[in-house]
Amino acid sequence: MKKVKVSICTGTACFVMGASEIMMLEDSLPEDLKNSVDIEIDGVSCLEKCGNAQNGKAPFVLVNGEVLSAATISTVIEKIRAIAEE
Amino acid sequence: MGELPPFAGSKDTFIEVAHAQLRKHKQGAEGDVFLSQKNPADGRVITALSDGLGSGIKAGVLATLTATMATKFIASDIPIKKAAQIIMNTLPVCKERGISYATFTLVDIEPNSTVRVIEYDNPPYILIRKQTFVEPIKEFTVIERKNKKTAPKKEAVVQYSQYEALPGDRLVFFSDGVTQAGMGSVHYPFGWGYNNVQNYILEKIEKNPEISARDLAKAVVNQALQIDSFKAKDDITCGIIYSRKPRDLLVLTGPPLYPERDADLSRLFASFSGKKIVSGGTTANILARETGKKISVCLKNLDPKIPPESVMEGADLVTEGIITMGSVAEILEQGKYSDSAKVNAAVRVVELFLDSDRILFVVGTKINEAHQDPNMPVELEIRRNIIKKTANLLQEKYLKEVKIQYI
Repeated sequence: MKKVKVSICTGTACFVMGASEIMMLEDSLPEDLKNSVDIEIDGVSCLEKCGNAQNGKAPFVLVNGEVLSAATISTVIEKIRAIAEE
Repeated sequence: MGELPPFAGSKDTFIEVAHAQLRKHKQGAEGDVFLSQKNPADGRVITALSDGLGSGIKAGVLATLTATMATKFIASDIPIKKAAQIIMNTLPVCKERGISYATFTLVDIEPNSTVRVIEYDNPPYILIRKQTFVEPIKEFTVIERKNKKTAPKKEAVVQYSQYEALPGDRLVFFSDGVTQAGMGSVHYPFGWGYNNVQNYILEKIEKNPEISARDLAKAVVNQALQIDSFKAKDDITCGIIYSRKPRDLLVLTGPPLYPERDADLSRLFASFSGKKIVSGGTTANILARETGKKISVCLKNLDPKIPPESVMEGADLVTEGIITMGSVAEILEQGKYSDSAKVNAAVRVVELFLDSDRILFVVGTKINEAHQDPNMPVELEIRRNIIKKTANLLQEKYLKEVKIQYI
């Protein structure tokens, strides 16, 4: 089973821009993904990405080390699916 | 930096003032009033508990007037007997009963630890020293009322006592809602009773010799409510003044303006002997990097409004910064910490604040430009302002000794 690690930034900017919802990711994971991928979700106190505009907009989420900017539950799920299908 | 700066006017003992209060069942307002003030310059503490005639808003007005006048008079060094006289002659007259009446207990603690207590018709205060009761000698004075018509038939006798406070002393005083709790019930036909209250307090202290003024006051009030079958028959108030070794708390919030100071922050964190809060993602990262410790965020029991807390070795609590501290200031302002059904990171910070005596804020002044983005759905305050507001509340409303350092 493929492993995917999702790290959600819980810093101020990310939290108000939507990370508070992404923290509920586990409840929204589709069954097929849950069965086919070993997904680990954790929080990070701050990814320190928002201070630099080149990184894009908050909220930031790391999926297997890759930074997603302006993340939403659906873009995170998409990313997990892409990794699963690689 | 590095060394902990001394707290202004600090001594080996800290005076903790706390009270707990419940209003009479079905009343919308408290008829007892508890006020306290501390002069940050010299540490003088003045506290008043007043119980107004009757209950509800009318009693509340009488009690508020009494307690406010009393603390102001004492603060401006007007002789106590004179003050008592003015208060009694100023109180408004109750229309139904035709008398003007509110009891009071006034406690004035001088910076040199001399405690003066003036009592009028509240149950006598209890002084506990080394787990036994101590009874200072009381001087009785009859106060003449100008208007005999509106004075209660009973003569007004004011009791004055004075003693030197020792570290570990607890001064407990309460309204008659405590001693008369349960009156008329099978178990307590004459109420809980003064002696039973005394014994209950002593028992609590024997079980937990370090019990804080706040917890002890809460325990007394809750026990009275229980004896009242959970429907308070009168306003129930208990105030406690406890002099003890100060409990220190360090709050590190915000990254230093210059990264060169990061190491100072971590040294201070390591050398501080009290409890420690780290508030802010970047701040936590700096400490983790400098000390080689790991941070783990708890994604359980999420609150949609407050970011989750984290755990890091050496810190008692790690939280997000601006949102959490903003909520802390709000809770402190409203004074509703016990009613918060949801225990989130902000409530945990408030609990730690209230359980501390001396709080040192070390505030990093670097501003995160992303917070100033006009597209943010909420307005994010500048850290410095939130901390200033919080510090003022802690100092004035909760009588804590507070210091702020910017880095």
